[in-house]
Amino acid sequence: MRHLATWAILGLTLTFLIGPFLIIILAGASDTEYLAFPPQGLTLGWYFKVFTVESFRASFVLSMALAVFGTLAALLLGVPAAYALNRYDLPGAETLRTVVAAPIIVPGIIVGLALLRYMVVPTGVTVTAALFMAHTALVLPYAVRVVSSSMNNLRADMEEAAVLLGCTRLQAFLKVVLPNIRGGVLAAFILGFVTSFNQVPVSLFLSGPGVRTLPIDMLAYMEITFDPSVAALSALLAFMSLAIVFAAERLLGFSRYV
Amino acid sequence: MSDAFVKLSGLTLGYGRTVAVPALDLSIREGELIALLGPSGCGKTTTMRAIAGLLDPSDGTIEIDGRDVTRVPANKRGIGLVFQSYALFPHLSAHENVAFGLRLQKLPAEEIRARTEEGLATVGLTGFGKRKPAEMSGGQQQRVALARSLVMRPKVLLLDEPLSNLDARLRLEMRTELQRVQKETGITMVFVTHDQAEALALADRIVLMREGRIEQLGTPADLYARPETAFAAEFMGFENIFRTEGAAVVSDKGRLPLAAVPQSPILAWRPDAVTVGEGPHEGRVAAASFAGAHREYVIDSALGPVKADAAIELPEVPLGGTIRFDLPLATARGLAA
Amino acid sequence: MFRNTREGLALALPAAIFSTLLFLVPVGILLSEAFRGSAGGWSVQGYIDFFSEPLNRTVFLRTLKLGLLVAGTAAVIGYAAAFCIVNLGPKTRGKVFGMVVLPLMISPVARTYAWIVILGRTGIVNEAITGLGLSDTPLRLLFTETAVFLGLLQLFLPLMIISLVSAMENIPRDVIPAARVLGASWIEVFFKVILPLTKEGLVIGGTLVFTGALTAYITPAILGGSKVLMLETLLYQRVNVSNDFVSASVIAMILIVMSFSANLLLKRIATARS
Repeated sequence: MRHLATWAILGLTLTFLIGPFLIIILAGASDTEYLAFPPQGLTLGWYFKVFTVESFRASFVLSMALAVFGTLAALLLGVPAAYALNRYDLPGAETLRTVVAAPIIVPGIIVGLALLRYMVVPTGVTVTAALFMAHTALVLPYAVRVVSSSMNNLRADMEEAAVLLGCTRLQAFLKVVLPNIRGGVLAAFILGFVTSFNQVPVSLFLSGPGVRTLPIDMLAYMEITFDPSVAALSALLAFMSLAIVFAAERLLGFSRYV
Repeated sequence: MSDAFVKLSGLTLGYGRTVAVPALDLSIREGELIALLGPSGCGKTTTMRAIAGLLDPSDGTIEIDGRDVTRVPANKRGIGLVFQSYALFPHLSAHENVAFGLRLQKLPAEEIRARTEEGLATVGLTGFGKRKPAEMSGGQQQRVALARSLVMRPKVLLLDEPLSNLDARLRLEMRTELQRVQKETGITMVFVTHDQAEALALADRIVLMREGRIEQLGTPADLYARPETAFAAEFMGFENIFRTEGAAVVSDKGRLPLAAVPQSPILAWRPDAVTVGEGPHEGRVAAASFAGAHREYVIDSALGPVKADAAIELPEVPLGGTIRFDLPLATARGLAA
Repeated sequence: MFRNTREGLALALPAAIFSTLLFLVPVGILLSEAFRGSAGGWSVQGYIDFFSEPLNRTVFLRTLKLGLLVAGTAAVIGYAAAFCIVNLGPKTRGKVFGMVVLPLMISPVARTYAWIVILGRTGIVNEAITGLGLSDTPLRLLFTETAVFLGLLQLFLPLMIISLVSAMENIPRDVIPAARVLGASWIEVFFKVILPLTKEGLVIGGTLVFTGALTAYITPAILGGSKVLMLETLLYQRVNVSNDFVSASVIAMILIVMSFSANLLLKRIATARS
């Protein structure tokens, strides 16, 4: 009896959470010209079509580049910061932490608008550059948090031991700290990548002629056409995210870090 | 052999209000096994870290083998340190841990291999090279940490509480091991401990520290038999320590007469130096426990609790029972005020 | 070795400066915009103007209502689901938990789009209704508050479940059986044992869900359109359609203040109970 109730609750919850995702996969395979569910007939046509839409290709490349390089930049800033906040007794450490974590607290749409109005417009920075910086800032809190938590378990005396054996401080970091937080850094990269790739509100205002991230492009496409290609594309993107997360989980037990 | 192989002069550690060690002078002989002993917060670990170069002194100098190394960075000082936590590199095998420092010196591969094998052999871990730290017991991890420091042939080897993380059996084993390694390599060793039994058993000389200063320095036999202060006496197991006034010992609770007027302002007795079963004084047994060769009593006396060991042949006195005892001047250790 | 403050600051400051310049400063300027009077000097006229417009008031109240509704519903479902999850065997538990987390990794656009398939004119619900002959014409289900509510709930429910699961994992093992043995009914067990012991998880989950629902853009944009505006979509309209940056600044401030006060309020409640 208890068992039945448990599975009824979980079944309903999981259907609500995952069902819609299964529906899109099928909807994307509908052979109608408009969105229909259940599909009358099945075709993979829409799944192939999305690869031929020029704007999707361009915006996919942009989103990919933003996610990869934005996250790398965030790690470049975030790993040293996480290290310093963990190892050193810094004055105003709490403030530093808050400042670095701020991008997570402020709604993305506000950030996008603020950057457009007070950086892109007055300084003439390109929209692409602004997007890159915005995505870096967006990922930074995750980078600091995930890397911090994997550094927590790493005792400082290991580095001291390395130094006493002849390492410089930098060598001690590279040879002792980095190999031991590799999992955390990778997890931060994946989390950052997925966050950045799926991000909408920050990028909403930061778009110009020919410069659109993929999710924004999908929103725009949806407003004009009502064919199942967006469903197909959504399903493909979901598969991509899942593949990355599954690979990460297999390789390094990703979920420990999230 | 130099009498001041390691020489600390006016070594001051910490700043302003948080001075942990004010102006410490200490000379350590070459090949000596020295214990820095004291309760937590006495400055022993801070001093050790300063010798290693992990902590910059605010004043004073550190000389090793006639060379001033006060400003030499830790990675160029040539000093080994075995951490209390061992601080092994978890991503490297035992072999790679031991070879770590040698590889940094860019020695020929063959020499690195040979010295690493030799190092593992010295600590009795031949054949364990491939294991990761997580796959080894605490005792084995500590041996790897020891080997890792030894293969660097350091001028001085520092050990932070080397036995505190081991269980009783391993502790004894490691103690003999450390002594053997020290005799074999002739290396100068300084180890930090809060356990007087460990210091007494292992060290050539003991530096007893208190609040950043040296309270007493001497051989284990010296310290054990002839502590000079109440602090040292307490640390060395003198559990009955009383002030004297004329021909009497006094405490907050009361006084007991002595046979004669003593010369020292403070007298101390170990429990086995207290006479039980006869004597001029009387008390009640507040606690009693059987300890094999003797019986340990806590006697509630006019002075307050007195701890005394009674020979096992003497009849047992039950809790609350009356017991006679004496604090003989002959077995007392006189201390400075 | 790690006492050199200057060294530590050199490592931490680039990130902090980056975050300040790209984040705090522009956002700060944006927030200050509504306080700048037309004649120079400071004023709150922007706020007065904003709230004197009925549409803005409706949108503000709707956003608040939907946020609370989504957070409240998520808490109810979240407790039931989390309680089931922590009582599963270790293997199944990992799998089910994974299935709860997975949606978070999927693009919100994709997740929201699914609701168009479900609720659209030719979607699954309408097909069923017309198929069963309950109605001749398809119902308008999209562009309603219900659609936005469902979309937001689906988007943020995982955050609540995750928070509550980790809170429940920390409940000492035998506490619930002990309460039962002492004669507590399940309802008493929930209110006297489970709730007090998981309130921190509830605070975290509640803040995440409420703030998430307030600041979501995609869901109200796709499922609500211009018929069911929320603060985020209103902000977008004000900027893109009418170039009204004062309103944008006001909305930005409202969103930030609401997020923060939600967090503070929930924290207050959590500490007051104990």
